Amino acid sequence: MLLDYDRLGWLRVALVGFTAAVAAFLLLPVVFIVLLSFGSSRWLAFPPPGWTLKWYQQLLADPSWIDAALTSARIAAMAAILAVVIGLFASFSLVRGEFRGRQVLRGLLLTPMVLPVVVFAIAIYAFFLRIGLAGTTVGFVIAHTILALPFAIIPITAALEGFDKSIEDAAIVCGASPLQARLRITLPSIRIGIFSAAIFSFLASWDEVVVAIFMASPTLQTLPVKIWGSLRADLSPVVAAASSLLVGLTLCLMIVTALLRRKLSR
Amino acid sequence: MQGNSLRRGSVAGLPAGSGSALPALLLVGLFFIVPVVALLLRSVIDPEPGLQNYAALFGSGTYVRVFLNTFLVAAVVTAVTIVVAFPVAWMLAIMPPALGSIVFGIIILSMWTNLLTRTYAWMVLLQRTGVINRALMGLGIIHEPLPLINNLAGVTIGMVYIMLPFMILPLVGTLRAIDPMTLRAAALCGASPFEAFRRILLPLSLPGIAAGGLMVFVMSLGYFVTPALLGGTSNMMLAEMIAQTVQSLLNWGLGSAAAFVLLVVTMALYAIQLRLVGARRAGGGI
Repeated sequence: MLLDYDRLGWLRVALVGFTAAVAAFLLLPVVFIVLLSFGSSRWLAFPPPGWTLKWYQQLLADPSWIDAALTSARIAAMAAILAVVIGLFASFSLVRGEFRGRQVLRGLLLTPMVLPVVVFAIAIYAFFLRIGLAGTTVGFVIAHTILALPFAIIPITAALEGFDKSIEDAAIVCGASPLQARLRITLPSIRIGIFSAAIFSFLASWDEVVVAIFMASPTLQTLPVKIWGSLRADLSPVVAAASSLLVGLTLCLMIVTALLRRKLSR
Repeated sequence: MQGNSLRRGSVAGLPAGSGSALPALLLVGLFFIVPVVALLLRSVIDPEPGLQNYAALFGSGTYVRVFLNTFLVAAVVTAVTIVVAFPVAWMLAIMPPALGSIVFGIIILSMWTNLLTRTYAWMVLLQRTGVINRALMGLGIIHEPLPLINNLAGVTIGMVYIMLPFMILPLVGTLRAIDPMTLRAAALCGASPFEAFRRILLPLSLPGIAAGGLMVFVMSLGYFVTPALLGGTSNMMLAEMIAQTVQSLLNWGLGSAAAFVLLVVTMALYAIQLRLVGARRAGGGI
């Protein structure tokens, strides 16, 4: 009975053991980096000879790290808002539109997700060099919005497909205008999709390295560019401290998501 | 019906149907299609019109080696990812939910953790004097530190780590969709567990394995960050070569030609994947 958990017998022991090992493998780097960031060894010896907070002090005392984090947050927030709004409009057309080429349009809007980022990175870099947007916040936001758009469209179209349109029609029959029906019936019903879209598109920009490496200028760099630069120079424990803060942020985001999903789906 | 088609207009009151996709279409058209097409053109006009960039690309042993290495790494990563992911997805599909949600939580945590953070962790872990080498030496398994970084082993470990969630999550769906009755029937008819696995479970999950594997392969082909940090100079991959050609050597023509090759291969494989899973499910892990 290979698909019956209770009747797998000895196979279950082996498979559960293997699954636990893979889970440990997936958890290992995340836990390791957090432990390391509190270790006192400059050379990242493990287990560390002692515990310290000095890497965090160094990190927070360095304005270039703070600047990079703020730049990342600003760009990611703008890209996420744009991607969700534009993606929401596009999703209505993709799900409900009845025109030829709808599947083609869908494929086109999702292409930025499958095209290797490096191809897009050098293409948009060359383009922005020509029109003077390279190294600017506007350029960053445009490029990241394009990369985030598929991550907004996928959850929103999924939510919209799962929404029964006759409820919206019922509201209109009862005297609501189409706009009112959309704003007060449809949007609240697909809020989990919109919320996922916001999280995913924010992360798509926040974590993006390749386009950012090309787009960054000495005065404008995001957190991943700053980390990339430090990694190529040396493996300083300050990077471990910065990485641990990012792990903390991820955990917060996961908890907030779980709580909000529970609240929203009630 | 008339009223219905009127209502189909967008929130902004744009014309029905396609109208509300207009902003997205404009954005993607102007800042995605135009730059990518311009880049491809550049591969045949920079520095002068002709195919000399492609001739240089395929005529040089160095670049051909980069191509071969890229495919080799992507194939190894895909194979290892499938083998590791399958048992995990299998267990996740049938585990008690309480236990499963812990594993799912760990998968999501690793997937959402910043890519550079994860790669940095592996850089430290895999060093000559890193934890893994020390642990293996402490246990007496090896006497000399293993070269685990700046080579194929390093790239494979780092990439499999990143790709596992993209393989496990869709596979769980495939495995959950299999009717357990088919396996019960096999057992009743006297099939041994191994035979039931080989003749029922594996063939039924093959579409999921193929789709996930193809996705992992395509993603690996164009990967930049992890190979650049964990790989060595002797096994450079295509994405890193493209970035270097453009950024350090400022050879836009050659870089564009290499980018075009990567684009064609990726899109062709993506088209096959679409066939396999249908356009709807091509989104992958989300």
